[in-house]
Amino acid sequence: MLKRKMLMNWSWPLKIAREVEVTRLYPEVMMELPDAERGLHELDATKCIGCASCARVCPNSCIEMVPYRYGNPLKNKKMQYPQIDYGRCMFCGLCVDECPAECLKMGKKVTMAGWERDEIVRGPEKIAVKKFSEKEEQALEAEAKRIAAEKAAAKKAAAKEGAKKPGAAGAAGANNKAAKKKTAPAGEGAPASKASGKPSEKTAGAAAEEAKAEANPKVGGAT
Amino acid sequence: MTTASDVLSSIQSAFPGAVLESKVESDRRLWATIDSSKIVDVCKHLTEKLAFDHYSGAAGVDWIARNEMEVVQIMTSHGAHQVVAMLKSKTPREKPTIKSLANLYWNANWYEREIWEMFGINFEGHPGLYPLLLGDDLVGAWPWRKDFKGYPDLTTGKRAVERPTADGYTEYFIPPTPAEIEAGTVPIKLKYPSYREREEAEIKSDAEMIMHMGPQHAMLPGPFLLDILVEGERVHKAFLDLGYIHKGIEKIMENRSWLQGITYTDRMCYVASLTNNECYCGAVEKILGVEVPERAQYIRVILEELSRIQSHLIGTGEFLTLIAGVGYAPWNFMIIDRERIISMIESVTGARLTHTFVRFGGARNDLPEGFADKCRDALKYIESRTKEYIELFNQDPIYHMRMEDVGALSAETAKRVGISGPPLRAAGVAYDMRKEDPILAYPDLDFKVITGTKGDCADRVDVRLREILESVHIIEQCLDRIPSGPIMTETKVPKKIPAGEAYYRVEDPRGEMGMYVISDGGDKPYRVKVRGPFYATLQTLPPLLEGVYIADVVAIAGSMDGCPSEADR
Repeated sequence: MLKRKMLMNWSWPLKIAREVEVTRLYPEVMMELPDAERGLHELDATKCIGCASCARVCPNSCIEMVPYRYGNPLKNKKMQYPQIDYGRCMFCGLCVDECPAECLKMGKKVTMAGWERDEIVRGPEKIAVKKFSEKEEQALEAEAKRIAAEKAAAKKAAAKEGAKKPGAAGAAGANNKAAKKKTAPAGEGAPASKASGKPSEKTAGAAAEEAKAEANPKVGGAT
Repeated sequence: MTTASDVLSSIQSAFPGAVLESKVESDRRLWATIDSSKIVDVCKHLTEKLAFDHYSGAAGVDWIARNEMEVVQIMTSHGAHQVVAMLKSKTPREKPTIKSLANLYWNANWYEREIWEMFGINFEGHPGLYPLLLGDDLVGAWPWRKDFKGYPDLTTGKRAVERPTADGYTEYFIPPTPAEIEAGTVPIKLKYPSYREREEAEIKSDAEMIMHMGPQHAMLPGPFLLDILVEGERVHKAFLDLGYIHKGIEKIMENRSWLQGITYTDRMCYVASLTNNECYCGAVEKILGVEVPERAQYIRVILEELSRIQSHLIGTGEFLTLIAGVGYAPWNFMIIDRERIISMIESVTGARLTHTFVRFGGARNDLPEGFADKCRDALKYIESRTKEYIELFNQDPIYHMRMEDVGALSAETAKRVGISGPPLRAAGVAYDMRKEDPILAYPDLDFKVITGTKGDCADRVDVRLREILESVHIIEQCLDRIPSGPIMTETKVPKKIPAGEAYYRVEDPRGEMGMYVISDGGDKPYRVKVRGPFYATLQTLPPLLEGVYIADVVAIAGSMDGCPSEADR
């Protein structure tokens, strides 16, 4: 008997769930918001360079840089895009003002009710209004890979060149030192850098740096 | 007219050797470091001989690198001249003590209490150094000193420990660190009579009793405790306690970058956030020496006046709900009218209340297209409505019976107690920062300072309503004259503001708003002191309530148009 009653109680909400909604929007038309409205953020993922200046300027530190796929790998090498915690955001708009690429904007959308707490933390996939499609993304990634490969090849070549001439890296270091000491009396270093350094200075310097980055003990010791 | 250099030479001739350092920034600003033993005499001299009759406030500064503390007294005059004298007196950091000015200026009382509880600077001869803004457990920690580690002190890795009290409650206790015990620097809990004990000591007979109004009272939008000692229907004495929403904004701003500080000025008082922005940005611009482009100046003036209109509308509307027995309550009408002003502001700034609009050297947005026409329409509407309200108030006999000669402040008293804004102007003193310390485009604009005659509640409301009309007049002039051009300075504002200090005043809807900003050349402010208008107004409330009926308490407090959030910043 009791079980039957309970089942009846349960069936009632199921029955009315299919009926028409009784809650409606009031006022029936949403207020028209001005163009300058500072509502929810809109990210142009195709432009974002991932500099994190929005995250740095935020007074409540509610912006975090997170990885996201559909951006431009040519501009944003680490593929880091802002994720905004609307639980903390106070819509001051400083992030928008700071953005050097002008890719972060604030739109007219202001409602952000959600069912779960996580819904107020909006990642780039939610705030992005412009992003690359899967196809474009693949093309861009291939392009980025090609450029990276080219660079790596150039690097290798430079490193080889540096290895061939063991004195080159050392000479580059001397050149740099001479260039830094502007007021130093003109000695042996200065004319040497002028004579020999000029054409190959850049490549030699770059080679030395890359060699350092690779932590080659030999060349590192030489510099 | 007296200028800053005249004031300086007068002090130097009267007290040879008392001025240790001095700087005349302009005709209107004098910075002087006074020998701390002579500060009272110098202030007396200024008041008696040079008409410095307005003690505007005091700021404490902790110079930890120089191992000294500084108290900066801000002295001005009620219209006799426009010099602001910033008198500094120094004291060693170990046992900071300075002579109190509370016996000379009545309103120095609260400013010195604030400095005492925040910095631990002792004021000799102060009538009652009791905590005002801080909770009991923070007194003695001196939180605004530069070496304050936070509460609880997280640098030691120890958090507060729970322990049961004798009456069954749980209290949190931070045990002293071993290093502190060894050094003997364990903060000693100061002994002083609590707020309750102090007010109960005033009960003289069995016929008297204490009535609590607040902290959660509909009297003003924000919590503060007003206790009144009543005998029957008469109020004998009133006591005021603040600090229920103390946010420590001045300290927070020391830990935020210069730009981020703007967002905190918004939140001191949300109905006057544009003037607060202006005050902070103006002070920083003064340190930077940046000139604001003319168009940006006009935009800022327009928005600040719009903000004044909406603030006065909500203030008056709220006041009417407080005295609701009058028979009509145009609160709803005022809110509807205010909505039009708010949407005008929103169309420029993008936010309804916390605007974060003013920037160092300009403004965030330009006026949108068609703003002038829309604004003119709105202003026309507001003007006609305000005239209606004034008429409504004038012809209501019950309102007049209720409000006239209630809480009246004479001009002399109002000057002495350091009140500012509409309550002061209602008493007949034409003291307005827009005239006294003209900023932006205000010197070019034609407007009057609205004054009242009697200084009672009815006058205060009347002054506010007539100020709306004057603001409408100012905005109309601005809309006619606004030039085209850039809205930001061409010189790039650096992240690090060069070392310097500035005191900048604006006319808040509630009165004189001043900010004393110090930069040490870093990317954060070294100190931001906010001299808010409502802090001064709240201080005058208890003496004003003495001898009135209980029914008038709410009317008097409400007619001040308060914002405890700003007093408790």
